[in-house]
Amino acid sequence: MFDVVWQRLDYGARLSLPFITALLGVLLGVLAWPLPHLGAVAPPFALMMVYYWAIHRPDLFRPWMAFLIGFLNDIVHSLPLGLSALLFVAAHQVIFRQRRFFVGHSFSMIWWGFALTVFLVTLAAWILQNLIAWTFLPVLPAVMQCVLAIVLFPLPCWLLIRLQRAAFPQG
Amino acid sequence: MPVHQRSSGWSYVAAISWRVVLQRFSFIVFMVLALGLLLLNRVHPGTVQGVRTHLVDGIAPVLDAFARPLTAIEQAAANARSYMSLRTENEKLRTDNASMKQWRDALVTLQRENRELRDLLHFKAEPGLAYISARVIADTGGPFTRGLIITAGATDGAREGMAVMTGEGLIGRVIEVGDWSSRVLLITDLNSRIPVTVAGSGDRAILVGENSAAPKLMYLPRDAVLSTGAQVVTSGHGGIFPPNLPVGTVTETSRGAYNLVPAADMGRINYVRLVDFNLKGGAFNPVAAKVEAAAKKR
Repeated sequence: MFDVVWQRLDYGARLSLPFITALLGVLLGVLAWPLPHLGAVAPPFALMMVYYWAIHRPDLFRPWMAFLIGFLNDIVHSLPLGLSALLFVAAHQVIFRQRRFFVGHSFSMIWWGFALTVFLVTLAAWILQNLIAWTFLPVLPAVMQCVLAIVLFPLPCWLLIRLQRAAFPQG
Repeated sequence: MPVHQRSSGWSYVAAISWRVVLQRFSFIVFMVLALGLLLLNRVHPGTVQGVRTHLVDGIAPVLDAFARPLTAIEQAAANARSYMSLRTENEKLRTDNASMKQWRDALVTLQRENRELRDLLHFKAEPGLAYISARVIADTGGPFTRGLIITAGATDGAREGMAVMTGEGLIGRVIEVGDWSSRVLLITDLNSRIPVTVAGSGDRAILVGENSAAPKLMYLPRDAVLSTGAQVVTSGHGGIFPPNLPVGTVTETSRGAYNLVPAADMGRINYVRLVDFNLKGGAFNPVAAKVEAAAKKR
């Protein structure tokens, strides 16, 4: 009896790994890191997770999860409610449709894909924010955030690959 | 019987096709939902803010749990740094102490003189300030916003509009208050506007955040010439903030405009204190106060 319960729990935990890592991504993005001035350019970890799982396990990371993660991101970052939700769902869909370009290809291809994704998402966020607030927001912090996210991407990606291999040995 | 079979068959087909439709179009469904939320910001901003405050309150313990080890690391690093520089720091403190003693003597004299002059004028003293201390559990800033989530909420006495300071100076104000946590809008945020005075010249200005490290001093008198390094303090106009809270110092940009270098280290904020200015009831609202006074008279 205990074994069955344990097995089910273990199975459930494995299946929810993509969603849990994405949740952690949102929290990591708002932590007060002991590095000065990181807050303004903290990389969008949540987007990294959405990107990774949309390519590797879209069966376990559905659009509604991308929506919820985006919603939570809006809540904690004081962004207009629905902004990240909209962008994450759109990004999820585009990446999912194009995933055959990434699966089975080299890591550099995935890295390039992420660079393009983070650039387009940040650009769209910047345009939408300007339209919503009807102002002209500075471009530099957004560019800095993009660059930092692209440079740092291999680290979370490596961790995710490890996690994925540990949780789903069959692939 | 055949009727029953047909109806269960239909419901089965309907259930399956509904699932298929939902799966196929879930992308569109959630895009529409997100767009609806974006519209809701415009139509019902109050509701959105309420939802946000409650949810932040809900996840505050999780953020706190994550923030604690980081704060501990930061403090350990600061301790290590201070051990390294113990000798030089001691030297500096010795010289500082000597000059402070001179200042203290001057201050005691001035204080006595001030008290006597106030007595002569029957001066009405400002109400005292009370402070609430809080820890920073999240840095919610990004390319478009600058803010913090702190551990003081309504149960600790935090209220909307309170000034938020570090030991060095003003860093922002409370904009949303939950039961256990609050959100702080930093002076560097694009939406921040704070009435200030330049100490010395007495020129008034509005400190406008620009999402950059140095907020702008705007609406200065046309003939105002400020010197770099001049102290900037809150003016207390509008009744939101108490007067004379240190904010920072003036710098001049290459285009002849004036910016402010915050006195507080905006990149490294772990602990803050909220300044309780108007001891009774929320951010002081001059109009509401007049209405209340008029109602009392009646």
